[in-house]
Amino acid sequence: MFYIEQLFNGITQGSIYALMAIGYSLIFGTLGLVTFVYGEVVVFGVFVGYYLYAVMGLNFGLALALGLVVTWGVGIIVDKVCYEKFRNAPRLIMLITTIGFAIFLKSSTQIVFGTQQRNMPDILGHVFLNIGTFRIPFIQILIILACIFFIVGLQLLLYRTRIGTALRALSMDKDAAFLVGVDVDKVIKFGHSLGCVLGVFGGVLLGVFYNAINPIMGPNIGLKAFTATVLGGITSIPGAVIGGLILGVMENLTVAVYSAGYRDIIAFIILITVLVIRPSGLFGRKLES
Amino acid sequence: MDQLFSLIEKIKQKSVYYLIPIGIFVLIFPQLTDNQYVLHVSIRILIYMLLASSLNMIVGYTGQYNIGQAGFYAIGAYTAAIIATRAGYSFLLILPICGILAASMSVFLGFPTLRLRGIFFAFTTLGFSEVVRLTILNWRTLTRGTFGIPGIPLPEIVNFQVSTNNHFYYLGLFLLVIMLFISHRLINSRIGRAWVAIREDEDAAKAMGVETFKYKMINLMYGTFWAGIAGGFFAYFAGYVSADSFILDESFAILAMVLVGGKGTLVGPIVGAIILTILPELVREIARYRLVIFGIAILVMVHYRPQGIAGARAEGRRIAVESEYEAGTAEPVTETSGKGS
Repeated sequence: MFYIEQLFNGITQGSIYALMAIGYSLIFGTLGLVTFVYGEVVVFGVFVGYYLYAVMGLNFGLALALGLVVTWGVGIIVDKVCYEKFRNAPRLIMLITTIGFAIFLKSSTQIVFGTQQRNMPDILGHVFLNIGTFRIPFIQILIILACIFFIVGLQLLLYRTRIGTALRALSMDKDAAFLVGVDVDKVIKFGHSLGCVLGVFGGVLLGVFYNAINPIMGPNIGLKAFTATVLGGITSIPGAVIGGLILGVMENLTVAVYSAGYRDIIAFIILITVLVIRPSGLFGRKLES
Repeated sequence: MDQLFSLIEKIKQKSVYYLIPIGIFVLIFPQLTDNQYVLHVSIRILIYMLLASSLNMIVGYTGQYNIGQAGFYAIGAYTAAIIATRAGYSFLLILPICGILAASMSVFLGFPTLRLRGIFFAFTTLGFSEVVRLTILNWRTLTRGTFGIPGIPLPEIVNFQVSTNNHFYYLGLFLLVIMLFISHRLINSRIGRAWVAIREDEDAAKAMGVETFKYKMINLMYGTFWAGIAGGFFAYFAGYVSADSFILDESFAILAMVLVGGKGTLVGPIVGAIILTILPELVREIARYRLVIFGIAILVMVHYRPQGIAGARAEGRRIAVESEYEAGTAEPVTETSGKGS
């Protein structure tokens, strides 16, 4: 019984990781590189939303919307500062700029919003769904539904709209996309900000799930999103979903069997294992080694 | 700004003449002041110099972005703390063990990641340093968890008790000089040339017969070895270790020192460590914003002076050529589609 509850916890958390991993893989697809600033942008966005809701007293939906608008802006700033000038430079230079920006954003978030953990307001209270002998918190079902909603929405965007087609073209071949008339610069900005916004959705849901948000969780979010993405195969969106789910379930089962202190180590162990056994991930294209 | 940089260039050209007075000053420095606070800060600078130099070996000479150097620093410090408080071995025995243990952990990290592209390595090091910290916090029987390990005895070197800040200063200076000397010899050897070849173009190096994986592994072990030594020295100097000293911010600070000072030169990280440690000490008001400034400093450096304050010119020129190429003002000399790294 206990394990089944933990399994359900794992699926809930896994769907949040899946959402973050999709955002990450979207950024990887458009920029063609691993970004370090992702986790920090997510934390910043979540805290802006939290601040507007809990301190300024705005309505939840409005606060979330404004948080997302700010995140979109931060995404564009990150692109301006970190990527724009270096689009054709060696990739390691963009690695340095994202590390620099991550350091900057992480400490700024801590200075602006303080370093202590904040309690996320309980939106639904303790409503449970009883199925036979199981008691499933209603909020978990809502989280899973929200994640499915965003994932389906993103799939529709990618396969049914012009900008989605442009994004997919870009992730296949940047030069070819440019040749057939894609406004590469604009689409990169769009893809990057969209990825960040998806991450913030994930971050908010994670805050709701844990009932708490923490200004220093940025690197952890980045690492988990990265792990889920690598596990699924780095540019594959269905892969990212499955990677996120596996990560979430593994984490919660380990916590159930072992100790909560080791929760954040699981992601690292999975990452190392994947890199040793199958660096291209479960569903990925073969990477050059 | 440009004038400042050209001044630095001039100083660099005549660096040999400046080296002698600087060396003398560094040697007699503890005799000039009785201020324990100043000495304390100088020793901390020495530790950061050691750490930044060790990271520079990895980041600057093979271009592998290790952003979890604090993890290896922590391994060194905890090794020293645990062995010294429990087994009571002598300092001279423990210090190398710190380095060796840190280096052997890096094998575990390097084996899966060094075969892949650099970005995987970078992310894995970040995770590794967090894992080290979490293990320290959770493995209570060995590390006492959040309480830290107090009461590390003062080091004794062949019947000489290292006790005052003066003594620690010279000990730290000695370690740094040894490190720089060995590194200097190594860089100008076959191994060092292989490292630089990998940094410049890994595929080309491989094509020329350099066993890139092996040399990257040697490089990682060498760099982390010195981080472990720095950790051991820190443990003895502070007399107390706790997981709080080895958070990610520490890794970021060390990386900032390397990047701001100038990667790929021996002088660069030294300059970076001095500037970035003294700055928050001098202006107390900005100490809180330390890492914000470090982050901005890295970004400014990458945009305007990619080789760092004291760095070699090479990389800057490459970017200049590329931006001219982009603007259409230069003939494309080489294929620079950015797919190489």
